[in-house]
Amino acid sequence: MRYVRNTILTVLVVAFGLLLYYVLPRHDVARITGTEIIRMDFSALNRPFYAQTDSANTDMPTRDVRLINTVKKRTMLLGFIRRDSERVFVYRNEDTGWIWPPYFKFDSSDLQAEALANVSSPGNEQWVVITRYGWRNRFFTIYPNMIAIKPVEGPNVTVVPWFNIVFFILLGAAMLFIRAMWRQFRERAIDPRMQDGRDAWDRVDAYADERRSRVSRWWKSWTGK
Amino acid sequence: MALLRLIVVLFLLCSLVYLCVAWYSRSVRHEKLEKEWDEDHPDGGDKMARQTFITQGMIDYNDSIRPKLLLLIYVVPAIFVGAMLYITNAN
Repeated sequence: MRYVRNTILTVLVVAFGLLLYYVLPRHDVARITGTEIIRMDFSALNRPFYAQTDSANTDMPTRDVRLINTVKKRTMLLGFIRRDSERVFVYRNEDTGWIWPPYFKFDSSDLQAEALANVSSPGNEQWVVITRYGWRNRFFTIYPNMIAIKPVEGPNVTVVPWFNIVFFILLGAAMLFIRAMWRQFRERAIDPRMQDGRDAWDRVDAYADERRSRVSRWWKSWTGK
Repeated sequence: MALLRLIVVLFLLCSLVYLCVAWYSRSVRHEKLEKEWDEDHPDGGDKMARQTFITQGMIDYNDSIRPKLLLLIYVVPAIFVGAMLYITNAN
């Protein structure tokens, strides 16, 4: 039973982590080399990784997708460490509209124009900070979706991911709040109604206390406090 | 009609959160009132008086600003949508 529970929990946590990895905004330092429009014939494999046609249009099974070609600085560890080397990187540029993910982006055409306005050639580079979400995968032909372009002086800019910082703080707060709510619900609504359940919970609590005291004893053996 | 769908889904989600948080807030207040009474009356006191005290406390709670603040659960996501709309699309 324990294995089943742990497995399900692990799968859920990993799935949630991947979802955040896909949906949260990330920043790339790059220079734009050009733009392109290709026709995409989606399959069930890659359709979920695209948004939909521009807002207020009819969504057809096949449509044109705006792409933006860049040369970007390579990164490591989810983009936290930037390296000196470069690679080519292609973004798509699609409206997310009123639909998932909640970027409410309606300005794809403007963004495409902005990208063209910042095209530069080697030797005369115009570096930009690109905000995007999503993944690039060659086997499924999927691209990250570009959200914003900000021209910068040089490639060595520091980008503080304010949105993600606030997001994770709020996520932590929400989780603590849900935990408090669940405890209150258990104490006030479940336990009084079923005595058997309370016994089970007591046992779980006792087990948790026992574990905790063991951990704290181990901790004391290290700190001497 | 994607906007309509967003509004409906967001409203349902917010309502779910609102119901949960409203229940939680009332429950915490109820528990606090019970404990207050029990502290003042270590012998338990009159059962009816206890019930009246708690009911009066809950009426006071309902009239206070706190339950009205919970309506922010509907307001904040709307502000978020507006802010994201502006940040993403402002040129």
